[in-house]
Amino acid sequence: MRFYRLRNRLKEKTAGLGQSVGLALAEAVLLAAEAEFAKLSEDYPQWVLEQLERLQQQHRAAVAEPARSALAFQAINEIAHDMRGQGSTFGYPLISTVGDSLYRFSQARAAYDDNQVEIVKAHVDAMRAVIQGRVKGDGGEIGRALIASMQRAIAKYAGAVGPVP
Amino acid sequence: MAVAEFDLSRVSILLAEDNHYIRVLLFQCLKALGIGLVRTCKDGGEAIEVLRALHVDPGKAGAGEFDVIVANWQMAPVDGLALLRWVRRHQESPARFVPFIMVTGHADRAKVEQARDMGATEVLAKPFSVQTLAERLAQVIDRPRQFVHTFDYFGPDRRRCVPAVPGRIERRTITEAEIEVVYD
Repeated sequence: MRFYRLRNRLKEKTAGLGQSVGLALAEAVLLAAEAEFAKLSEDYPQWVLEQLERLQQQHRAAVAEPARSALAFQAINEIAHDMRGQGSTFGYPLISTVGDSLYRFSQARAAYDDNQVEIVKAHVDAMRAVIQGRVKGDGGEIGRALIASMQRAIAKYAGAVGPVP
Repeated sequence: MAVAEFDLSRVSILLAEDNHYIRVLLFQCLKALGIGLVRTCKDGGEAIEVLRALHVDPGKAGAGEFDVIVANWQMAPVDGLALLRWVRRHQESPARFVPFIMVTGHADRAKVEQARDMGATEVLAKPFSVQTLAERLAQVIDRPRQFVHTFDYFGPDRRRCVPAVPGRIERRTITEAEIEVVYD
Protein backbone atom coordinates (compact mmCIF):
# COMPACT_ATOMS: atom_id res chain seq x y z
CA MET A 1 0.00 0.00 0.00
CA ARG A 2 1.29 3.41 -0.92
CA PHE A 3 0.23 6.86 0.29
CA TYR A 4 0.97 9.96 -1.76
CA ARG A 5 1.12 13.20 0.22
CA LEU A 6 1.50 15.90 -2.37
CA ARG A 7 2.09 19.60 -2.04
CA ASN A 8 -1.15 21.52 -2.35
CA ARG A 9 -0.27 23.49 -5.47
CA LEU A 10 -3.89 24.37 -6.08
CA LYS A 11 -4.09 26.16 -2.76
CA GLU A 12 -0.84 27.95 -3.50
CA LYS A 13 -2.33 29.15 -6.77
CA THR A 14 -5.50 30.44 -5.16
CA ALA A 15 -4.29 31.86 -1.88
CA GLY A 16 -0.54 32.25 -1.90
CA LEU A 17 1.48 30.42 0.68
CA GLY A 18 -0.57 31.15 3.81
CA GLN A 19 -1.06 27.74 5.38
CA SER A 20 -3.32 28.24 8.35
CA VAL A 21 -6.21 30.15 6.89
CA GLY A 22 -9.51 28.77 5.76
CA LEU A 23 -10.67 29.84 2.34
CA ALA A 24 -13.98 31.23 1.20
CA LEU A 25 -15.29 32.82 -1.95
CA ALA A 26 -15.97 36.52 -1.76
CA GLU A 27 -19.63 37.28 -1.15
CA ALA A 28 -19.76 39.55 -4.21
CA VAL A 29 -18.38 36.77 -6.43
CA LEU A 30 -20.99 34.32 -5.16
CA LEU A 31 -23.76 36.85 -5.75
CA ALA A 32 -22.53 37.50 -9.30
CA ALA A 33 -22.50 33.77 -10.03
CA GLU A 34 -25.97 33.38 -8.56
CA ALA A 35 -27.22 36.23 -10.75
CA GLU A 36 -25.77 34.42 -13.79
CA PHE A 37 -27.50 31.20 -12.71
CA ALA A 38 -30.82 33.05 -12.24
CA LYS A 39 -30.49 34.73 -15.64
CA LEU A 40 -29.98 31.40 -17.41
CA SER A 41 -32.85 29.87 -15.43
CA GLU A 42 -35.16 32.62 -16.67
CA ASP A 43 -34.35 31.63 -20.25
CA TYR A 44 -35.00 27.97 -19.56
CA PRO A 45 -38.73 27.87 -20.53
CA GLN A 46 -37.78 29.32 -23.92
CA TRP A 47 -35.08 26.66 -24.33
CA VAL A 48 -37.65 23.96 -23.57
CA LEU A 49 -40.03 25.34 -26.20
CA GLU A 50 -37.19 25.22 -28.76
CA GLN A 51 -36.46 21.61 -27.84
CA LEU A 52 -40.14 20.72 -28.08
CA GLU A 53 -40.14 22.25 -31.56
CA ARG A 54 -37.17 20.03 -32.48
CA LEU A 55 -39.04 17.00 -31.12
CA GLN A 56 -42.05 17.87 -33.24
CA GLN A 57 -39.86 18.27 -36.35
CA GLN A 58 -38.49 14.75 -35.84
CA HIS A 59 -41.96 13.51 -35.19
CA ARG A 60 -43.25 15.05 -38.45
CA ALA A 61 -40.23 13.73 -40.36
CA ALA A 62 -40.90 10.21 -39.17
CA VAL A 63 -44.54 10.41 -40.17
CA ALA A 64 -43.67 11.81 -43.60
CA GLU A 65 -40.87 9.32 -44.25
CA PRO A 66 -41.48 6.07 -42.35
CA ALA A 67 -38.33 4.57 -43.87
CA ARG A 68 -36.27 7.08 -41.88
CA SER A 69 -38.17 6.57 -38.65
CA ALA A 70 -35.27 4.85 -36.89
CA LEU A 71 -33.18 7.98 -37.40
CA ALA A 72 -36.00 10.14 -36.08
CA PHE A 73 -36.29 7.97 -32.98
CA GLN A 74 -32.58 8.26 -32.41
CA ALA A 75 -32.85 12.07 -32.58
CA ILE A 76 -35.88 12.03 -30.27
CA ASN A 77 -33.92 9.87 -27.85
CA GLU A 78 -31.01 12.33 -27.83
CA ILE A 79 -33.27 15.35 -27.26
CA ALA A 80 -35.11 13.49 -24.46
CA HIS A 81 -31.74 12.66 -22.84
CA ASP A 82 -30.90 16.37 -22.79
CA MET A 83 -34.28 17.34 -21.39
CA ARG A 84 -34.28 14.79 -18.58
CA GLY A 85 -30.91 16.10 -17.45
CA GLN A 86 -31.97 19.75 -17.32
CA GLY A 87 -35.38 20.17 -15.76
CA SER A 88 -34.50 19.59 -12.12
CA THR A 89 -31.55 21.97 -12.22
CA PHE A 90 -33.73 24.80 -13.50
CA GLY A 91 -36.60 24.18 -11.08
CA TYR A 92 -38.80 22.08 -13.38
CA PRO A 93 -38.43 18.48 -12.17
CA LEU A 94 -41.58 17.48 -14.09
CA ILE A 95 -39.67 18.14 -17.33
CA SER A 96 -37.04 15.69 -16.10
CA THR A 97 -39.71 13.13 -15.20
CA VAL A 98 -41.44 13.32 -18.60
CA GLY A 99 -38.11 13.61 -20.44
CA ASP A 100 -36.88 10.45 -18.70
CA SER A 101 -40.04 8.60 -19.70
CA LEU A 102 -39.63 9.70 -23.34
CA TYR A 103 -35.94 8.77 -23.25
CA ARG A 104 -36.71 5.25 -22.08
CA PHE A 105 -39.56 4.86 -24.56
CA SER A 106 -37.52 6.05 -27.53
CA GLN A 107 -34.51 3.89 -26.79
CA ALA A 108 -33.86 1.13 -29.32
CA ARG A 109 -37.09 1.65 -31.23
CA ALA A 110 -36.59 0.81 -34.87
CA ALA A 111 -40.15 0.90 -36.14
CA TYR A 112 -42.37 3.93 -35.98
CA ASP A 113 -46.11 3.39 -36.23
CA ASP A 114 -49.17 5.48 -35.47
CA ASN A 115 -49.39 4.31 -31.87
CA GLN A 116 -45.81 5.28 -31.16
CA VAL A 117 -46.48 8.66 -32.74
CA GLU A 118 -49.24 9.17 -30.21
CA ILE A 119 -46.98 8.20 -27.31
CA VAL A 120 -44.31 10.70 -28.38
CA LYS A 121 -47.05 13.30 -28.77
CA ALA A 122 -48.35 12.58 -25.25
CA HIS A 123 -44.89 13.35 -23.86
CA VAL A 124 -44.52 16.53 -25.92
CA ASP A 125 -47.98 17.73 -24.85
CA ALA A 126 -47.21 17.08 -21.17
CA MET A 127 -43.93 19.02 -21.33
CA ARG A 128 -45.56 21.87 -23.21
CA ALA A 129 -48.27 22.08 -20.52
CA VAL A 130 -45.61 22.15 -17.77
CA ILE A 131 -43.77 25.03 -19.43
CA GLN A 132 -46.76 27.03 -20.56
CA GLY A 133 -48.25 26.78 -17.08
CA ARG A 134 -44.83 27.48 -15.49
CA VAL A 135 -45.46 24.42 -13.30
CA LYS A 136 -42.41 24.43 -11.03
CA GLY A 137 -41.46 21.86 -8.42
CA ASP A 138 -43.70 18.76 -8.34
CA GLY A 139 -46.59 20.96 -9.45
CA GLY A 140 -48.95 19.77 -6.71
CA GLU A 141 -52.43 18.83 -7.96
CA ILE A 142 -51.75 20.18 -11.46
CA GLY A 143 -48.47 18.25 -11.72
CA ARG A 144 -50.09 15.00 -10.64
CA ALA A 145 -52.94 15.52 -13.11
CA LEU A 146 -50.50 16.17 -15.97
CA ILE A 147 -48.45 13.07 -15.26
CA ALA A 148 -51.60 10.93 -14.81
CA SER A 149 -52.97 12.19 -18.11
CA MET A 150 -49.71 11.37 -19.90
CA GLN A 151 -49.59 7.91 -18.33
CA ARG A 152 -53.17 7.22 -19.44
CA ALA A 153 -52.23 8.13 -23.02
CA ILE A 154 -49.15 5.91 -22.86
CA ALA A 155 -51.14 2.99 -21.43
CA LYS A 156 -53.80 3.39 -24.12
CA TYR A 157 -51.35 3.21 -27.01
CA ALA A 158 -48.70 1.02 -25.40
CA GLY A 159 -51.09 -1.95 -25.56
CA ALA A 160 -50.72 -1.88 -29.33
CA VAL A 161 -46.95 -1.48 -29.44
CA GLY A 162 -45.77 -3.47 -26.43
CA PRO A 163 -44.86 -2.25 -22.98
CA VAL A 164 -42.82 0.88 -22.51
CA PRO A 165 -39.42 -0.32 -21.25
CA MET B 1 -9.45 30.78 12.13
CA ALA B 2 -8.94 33.62 9.71
CA VAL B 3 -10.72 33.21 6.41
CA ALA B 4 -9.07 34.45 3.24
CA GLU B 5 -10.77 34.95 -0.09
CA PHE B 6 -10.07 32.66 -3.01
CA ASP B 7 -8.48 34.03 -6.10
CA LEU B 8 -9.39 31.52 -8.79
CA SER B 9 -8.03 33.47 -11.74
CA ARG B 10 -5.03 31.12 -12.17
CA VAL B 11 -7.14 27.96 -11.93
CA SER B 12 -8.02 25.96 -15.04
CA ILE B 13 -10.88 23.50 -15.26
CA LEU B 14 -11.73 20.80 -17.77
CA LEU B 15 -15.52 20.57 -17.97
CA ALA B 16 -17.18 17.57 -19.62
CA GLU B 17 -20.96 17.74 -19.94
CA ASP B 18 -22.97 16.46 -22.90
CA ASN B 19 -26.08 18.45 -22.10
CA HIS B 20 -25.80 21.76 -23.95
CA TYR B 21 -27.70 23.94 -21.48
CA ILE B 22 -26.12 22.44 -18.38
CA ARG B 23 -22.72 22.88 -20.03
CA VAL B 24 -23.49 26.55 -20.68
CA LEU B 25 -24.79 26.94 -17.12
CA LEU B 26 -21.73 25.32 -15.53
CA PHE B 27 -19.37 27.27 -17.79
CA GLN B 28 -21.01 30.62 -16.96
CA CYS B 29 -21.13 29.86 -13.23
CA LEU B 30 -17.48 28.76 -13.12
CA LYS B 31 -16.42 31.88 -15.00
CA ALA B 32 -18.56 34.05 -12.70
CA LEU B 33 -16.86 32.40 -9.72
CA GLY B 34 -13.60 33.69 -11.15
CA ILE B 35 -12.07 30.56 -12.72
CA GLY B 36 -9.42 31.70 -15.19
CA LEU B 37 -9.78 29.00 -17.83
CA VAL B 38 -12.67 26.61 -18.47
CA ARG B 39 -12.19 24.18 -21.36
CA THR B 40 -15.52 22.57 -22.29
CA CYS B 41 -15.98 19.12 -23.81
CA LYS B 42 -19.14 17.53 -25.15
CA ASP B 43 -18.55 14.14 -23.56
CA GLY B 44 -16.00 11.97 -21.81
CA GLY B 45 -14.44 10.90 -25.10
CA GLU B 46 -13.60 14.46 -26.09
CA ALA B 47 -12.18 15.09 -22.61
CA ILE B 48 -9.93 12.04 -22.97
CA GLU B 49 -8.72 13.33 -26.33
CA VAL B 50 -7.87 16.72 -24.80
CA LEU B 51 -6.00 15.04 -21.94
CA ARG B 52 -4.24 12.64 -24.28
CA ALA B 53 -3.06 15.59 -26.40
CA LEU B 54 -1.74 17.14 -23.20
CA HIS B 55 0.17 13.92 -22.50
CA VAL B 56 1.67 13.86 -25.99
CA ASP B 57 2.37 17.58 -26.36
CA PRO B 58 1.47 19.93 -23.48
CA GLY B 59 2.03 22.99 -25.69
CA LYS B 60 -0.47 21.92 -28.34
CA ALA B 61 -3.30 21.19 -25.94
CA GLY B 62 -3.81 24.88 -25.23
CA ALA B 63 -3.21 24.71 -21.50
CA GLY B 64 -0.30 23.60 -19.40
CA GLU B 65 -2.44 21.44 -17.19
CA PHE B 66 -5.89 21.27 -15.69
CA ASP B 67 -6.25 21.84 -11.96
CA VAL B 68 -9.70 20.29 -11.63
CA ILE B 69 -11.93 18.11 -13.79
CA VAL B 70 -15.70 18.58 -13.54
CA ALA B 71 -17.65 15.90 -15.41
CA ASN B 72 -21.19 14.71 -15.66
CA TRP B 73 -21.68 11.02 -14.96
CA GLN B 74 -24.54 10.39 -17.40
CA MET B 75 -23.02 11.23 -20.77
CA ALA B 76 -23.08 9.51 -24.13
CA PRO B 77 -21.16 7.89 -25.70
CA VAL B 78 -18.35 8.03 -23.08
CA ASP B 79 -19.70 8.70 -19.60
CA GLY B 80 -18.12 10.36 -16.59
CA LEU B 81 -17.23 7.11 -14.87
CA ALA B 82 -15.27 5.92 -17.91
CA LEU B 83 -13.50 9.29 -18.01
CA LEU B 84 -12.66 9.02 -14.31
CA ARG B 85 -11.33 5.48 -14.78
CA TRP B 86 -9.13 6.70 -17.65
CA VAL B 87 -7.86 9.71 -15.68
CA ARG B 88 -6.91 7.65 -12.63
CA ARG B 89 -5.61 4.49 -14.29
CA HIS B 90 -4.56 4.96 -17.90
CA GLN B 91 -0.87 5.13 -18.59
CA GLU B 92 -1.40 8.06 -20.98
CA SER B 93 -3.28 10.09 -18.37
CA PRO B 94 -1.32 13.27 -17.62
CA ALA B 95 -3.38 14.00 -14.51
CA ARG B 96 -3.74 10.91 -12.34
CA PHE B 97 -3.88 12.97 -9.14
CA VAL B 98 -6.19 15.72 -10.41
CA PRO B 99 -9.24 16.54 -8.26
CA PHE B 100 -12.30 15.12 -10.03
CA ILE B 101 -15.81 16.44 -9.29
CA MET B 102 -18.49 14.06 -10.55
CA VAL B 103 -21.85 15.66 -11.35
CA THR B 104 -24.80 13.32 -11.21
CA GLY B 105 -28.57 13.32 -11.23
CA HIS B 106 -28.55 10.02 -9.36
CA ALA B 107 -26.95 10.88 -6.06
CA ASP B 108 -28.21 7.96 -4.03
CA ARG B 109 -25.80 6.34 -1.61
CA ALA B 110 -24.88 3.43 -3.90
CA LYS B 111 -24.01 5.78 -6.77
CA VAL B 112 -21.95 8.08 -4.56
CA GLU B 113 -20.03 5.05 -3.27
CA GLN B 114 -19.47 3.80 -6.82
CA ALA B 115 -18.00 7.18 -7.84
CA ARG B 116 -15.89 7.30 -4.69
CA ASP B 117 -14.54 3.78 -5.29
CA MET B 118 -13.51 4.76 -8.81
CA GLY B 119 -11.52 7.68 -7.35
CA ALA B 120 -13.85 10.69 -7.53
CA THR B 121 -12.78 13.49 -5.22
CA GLU B 122 -16.23 15.03 -4.77
CA VAL B 123 -19.77 14.34 -5.98
CA LEU B 124 -22.04 17.23 -7.00
CA ALA B 125 -25.70 16.22 -7.04
CA LYS B 126 -28.16 17.63 -9.55
CA PRO B 127 -30.05 19.83 -9.14
CA PHE B 128 -27.03 21.83 -8.04
CA SER B 129 -26.79 25.48 -7.04
CA VAL B 130 -24.00 28.03 -7.21
CA GLN B 131 -23.51 27.48 -3.49
CA THR B 132 -23.02 23.70 -3.76
CA LEU B 133 -20.73 24.12 -6.78
CA ALA B 134 -18.61 26.65 -4.87
CA GLU B 135 -18.51 24.37 -1.82
CA ARG B 136 -17.18 21.44 -3.84
CA LEU B 137 -14.50 23.67 -5.37
CA ALA B 138 -13.53 25.01 -1.95
CA GLN B 139 -13.33 21.45 -0.65
CA VAL B 140 -10.88 20.26 -3.33
CA ILE B 141 -8.72 23.37 -2.99
CA ASP B 142 -8.71 23.79 0.76
CA ARG B 143 -8.90 20.23 2.06
CA PRO B 144 -7.25 17.81 -0.37
CA ARG B 145 -6.83 14.24 0.84
CA GLN B 146 -3.77 12.08 0.48
CA PHE B 147 -3.82 9.61 -2.41
CA VAL B 148 -3.96 5.92 -1.72
CA HIS B 149 -2.68 3.17 -4.00
CA THR B 150 -3.67 -0.39 -3.13
CA PHE B 151 -3.98 -3.51 -5.27
CA ASP B 152 -7.53 -2.56 -6.24
CA TYR B 153 -7.80 1.19 -5.68
CA PHE B 154 -6.09 4.37 -6.75
CA GLY B 155 -7.51 7.72 -5.75
CA PRO B 156 -8.05 10.16 -2.91
CA ASP B 157 -8.24 8.60 0.55
CA ARG B 158 -11.84 7.48 0.91
CA ARG B 159 -11.78 8.14 4.63
CA ARG B 160 -12.33 11.82 5.35
CA CYS B 161 -11.67 11.28 9.04
CA VAL B 162 -10.11 8.45 11.00
CA PRO B 163 -12.61 7.01 13.45
CA ALA B 164 -11.65 4.78 16.35
CA VAL B 165 -11.29 1.11 15.49
CA PRO B 166 -14.67 -0.54 16.10
CA GLY B 167 -14.59 -2.45 19.39
CA ARG B 168 -10.95 -1.40 19.66
CA ILE B 169 -9.97 -4.63 17.94
CA GLU B 170 -7.71 -4.00 14.93
CA ARG B 171 -8.61 -6.50 12.20
CA ARG B 172 -6.48 -5.05 9.40
CA THR B 173 -3.47 -7.22 8.78
CA ILE B 174 -1.28 -4.73 6.91
CA THR B 175 1.94 -3.87 8.74
CA GLU B 176 4.03 -0.70 8.82
CA ALA B 177 6.61 -2.41 6.60
CA GLU B 178 4.02 -2.79 3.85
CA ILE B 179 3.15 0.91 3.79
CA GLU B 180 5.14 3.40 1.80
CA VAL B 181 4.53 7.13 2.06
CA VAL B 182 5.56 9.23 -0.93
CA TYR B 183 6.04 12.99 -0.70
CA ASP B 184 6.79 15.33 -3.57
